[in-house]
Amino acid sequence: MTDTTGSATKPPSLWARFLDSDILASFLRSKVTMVAAFVVLLLFIGAAFSPWIAPTDPFDPASVFLSDANIPPAWQDGGDPRFLLGTDDQGRDLYSAILYGLRVSLIVGGLGVLLAATIGITLGLLAGYLGGRVDALIMRIADVQLTFPAILIALLIDGVVRGIFKGANREDTALYVLVISIGLSFWVQYARTIRGSTLVERNKDYVQAARLVGLPAPLIMLRHVLPNVIGPVLVILTINLALAVITEATLSFLGVGLPPTQPSLGTLISIGNRYLFSGDWWIVAFPGATLAILVLAVNLLGDWLRDALNPRLR
Amino acid sequence: MTEPVISVRDLTVEFVTRRGTLRALDKVSFDVARGEVLGVVGESGAGKSVTGSAIIGLIDPPGRIAGGEIRLAGERIDNLPQERMRRIRGKRIGMIFQDPLTSLNPLYRVGEQLVETIRTHTDLDAAGARKRAIALLDEVGIPAPDRRIDGYPHEFSGGMRQRVVIALALCAEPDFIIADEPTTALDVSVQAQIIALIKRLCKERGTSVMLVTHDMGVIAETADRVAVMYAGRIAEIGPVRDVVKAPLHPYARGLMGAIPSIEGDAERLVQIPGAMPRLSNIPRGCAFNPRCGEVFERCRVERPELIDVEGRQVACHLYDREHQPARTGEIAA
Amino acid sequence: MTERPFVEVRDLRRVFDVSKPWLNRMLERQDKQFLKAVDGVSFDIRKGETFALVGESGSGKSTVARMVVGLLPPSGGAVSIDGISMTDRAVSQERQRLRRRIQMIFQDPYASLNPRWRVGRIIAEPIRAFDVIQGEQAITARVGELLTLVGLHPDDAKKFPHEFSGGQRQRIAIARALAADAEFIVCDEPTSALDVSVQAQILNLMRDLQERLGLTYLFISHNLAVVRHMATRIGVMYLGRLVEVSEGKRLFSDPRHPYTRMLLEAVPDLAMVGKPREGVKGEIPNPIDPPSGCTFHPRCPLVFDRCRVEAPAVIDGVACHAVNQGRAAA
Repeated sequence: MTDTTGSATKPPSLWARFLDSDILASFLRSKVTMVAAFVVLLLFIGAAFSPWIAPTDPFDPASVFLSDANIPPAWQDGGDPRFLLGTDDQGRDLYSAILYGLRVSLIVGGLGVLLAATIGITLGLLAGYLGGRVDALIMRIADVQLTFPAILIALLIDGVVRGIFKGANREDTALYVLVISIGLSFWVQYARTIRGSTLVERNKDYVQAARLVGLPAPLIMLRHVLPNVIGPVLVILTINLALAVITEATLSFLGVGLPPTQPSLGTLISIGNRYLFSGDWWIVAFPGATLAILVLAVNLLGDWLRDALNPRLR
Repeated sequence: MTEPVISVRDLTVEFVTRRGTLRALDKVSFDVARGEVLGVVGESGAGKSVTGSAIIGLIDPPGRIAGGEIRLAGERIDNLPQERMRRIRGKRIGMIFQDPLTSLNPLYRVGEQLVETIRTHTDLDAAGARKRAIALLDEVGIPAPDRRIDGYPHEFSGGMRQRVVIALALCAEPDFIIADEPTTALDVSVQAQIIALIKRLCKERGTSVMLVTHDMGVIAETADRVAVMYAGRIAEIGPVRDVVKAPLHPYARGLMGAIPSIEGDAERLVQIPGAMPRLSNIPRGCAFNPRCGEVFERCRVERPELIDVEGRQVACHLYDREHQPARTGEIAA
Repeated sequence: MTERPFVEVRDLRRVFDVSKPWLNRMLERQDKQFLKAVDGVSFDIRKGETFALVGESGSGKSTVARMVVGLLPPSGGAVSIDGISMTDRAVSQERQRLRRRIQMIFQDPYASLNPRWRVGRIIAEPIRAFDVIQGEQAITARVGELLTLVGLHPDDAKKFPHEFSGGQRQRIAIARALAADAEFIVCDEPTSALDVSVQAQILNLMRDLQERLGLTYLFISHNLAVVRHMATRIGVMYLGRLVEVSEGKRLFSDPRHPYTRMLLEAVPDLAMVGKPREGVKGEIPNPIDPPSGCTFHPRCPLVFDRCRVEAPAVIDGVACHAVNQGRAAA
């Protein structure tokens, strides 16, 4: 062989590739995205380190006094400098409760979305790669699934769980019920997306080449197809996180979610709602605002990610 | 009539990206005479499609015409406002694209699309336009045009669809047609029919055609003159017989030798080492110099201009008599 | 024992179900529709030769290729390679061993390499799957060797496919096909996505490798000039059937089937500058509803009554009633 078209240049390191990537460039170009990312980061840090950041532990009965109940925010008449955002009906510091609530909300939302993604990716991959009856069966289940709203599923699972674990305390099971409900109501979108891209990838020649080598189907799905269809899932994951947090809040607000002893943002809003008409607006307003900001920021981030990962918009 | 239909001078097209400015076309100049078919060949990335887009004013941002001028029958058209350019497109310059499916709206009958185009560019009434549409379909060789005119694009075969697209391009009797890979998506047997059709129309109507394709065979049979492009520049331009049979530019020589033929007996194809440079990385001097077998010092420093050699123009220092004795091109194996 | 051909394809058939979904069929009162993509194709390939299948779109040449390598189960007929059946379920053990000796090069070098994998891993996949060499170091060395063999640099193993041009990717695909010491390589339009100068590089490389390693190729292409350059023997396909099989150059100097003649007449070629050509009639019919008898009869200049009724068998390399009855001027 006389010709050598190969070059001996070393491939750049992962970090160098990241610094040079279009994704980073598009991130740095969008001010809104940068602000949104900053807010999300702040809220995540707040949630993750709430036991260290929060001035008081709102779940420690020893530090909560009923005499401190319904104190307005610190800058208002009757405010108490110990409670920056005021207190709720049980005398818990609202600022601390929001940090703890945020943590619970994000855990429930995050786990729920991860569960949904796991179910959805697995079923979508199977449906897309195997096709035929497996595909038809999975997609019909998905269609049926879509007709049930999350709240119905939550009620159903709540009922089933209570039926099975008769003696179980609701406080212990509530979190799992929520995660499973969110997981079961959100998986369809993942399954459909993954199935669609799998149908495309399955017919590409690199998959055929892997088949020629005699690789078994599960290995081909895992090694070849999955890494090439997972991209869009990242986007759905982010946008779904916001949706899951809202779903959790809705369920908790309606009383199927987390109990007041283990309050999420939704529970806090639900509690505050009862005091709205007595003029204690802060109990509902601050958790509500936190929820709104979180959802907005995560959504903005998701929108940007969708555009940045879409090669046609670049 | 001596004035060329299309005259392009020093046309430069740039794409501004985050990583710097890419020059997709670099001082490209050529003329197309009335009734002439100019073939534009080159490999992917040579800039042949960009040339077509620039002439019809359809370069999308971040691309822009950065220099030079384009004249249509003597009138400058590269700096016209969008609105006036749109009227010229379709009316005076027609277009034929590679995939006939993308040029036809699948939701409308073929006749509706033809009639609409005819009526926007002429002042015929509906009945007159329909009559004209049928005549056009007949002219491009569609059997039973008075019935087929009411068919939808999907009811036509690939070759017939491309004929409809050609009819569509002819609606307003343009002076100039840009055909971008018009036969690439078609089967060999149909390809020949479309080539014959384009040639016939040129002769009968006196329309000029710029035929952009990567297929030298198509050019060899269709074009009167051919321009060989490389890395956004014209390497050689001249009568098709000369350029195909006895190319002068080392790239053109390599390209012709690389094409397997159904005649001839080359046991081994000529191969040009390496690949066309990326736009971000065009070498200094002659863009072809790193791949050229006859490279010398001047090629690495100074960009060759098109010079007249043996009835054609070549951008190669080898043929610059003042500095280097010219060599005539036998194919270097 | 007489010498048995390396690859034997006998009466290969493939039918695709192209019916609309069940519900639509019921509502529109339509029957199931079938497409005979490949309809009784037989040929042999001798060891070390290049057998080419040419045809236009819908001729079924790629379907034949996929059935020969075992990517697509045939609806009928048999394929055997080196005496081992690819189609008989009973010999799956042997077939597994045979698989290592057969590889494929695909048309689109942008789709045939997993974009998320580094080149080294891509080329090493067959080595690992067939357990050809053990030990990471030995595998890396072998990958480097293969890259050098196809004209790339061993360090290219660390890069991703998108860092290469189309021609370089096709070289990588060739390296992968050779990784497990394949003897028989099915090439499905290996250069039709490439520029001509790159095509020349790849075709030359494939010929060099064949000479050096004694490879046998089944070469699928729509490009007659490329086929002429590469093939020892050529089969011409039309609508799922083989219409003519001929020794390489003879097909061009002495085409016998009317379709082959028409095809040769139609090819745009450098040699045709300024020459007038005869018109080619018609287009390929819809393969779902092919013409009766000889499928080429509506376009054939030599058509007579028998052609409309009876499909011609391949006799002496040509499937044409007119030629076999001596009605065609040879």
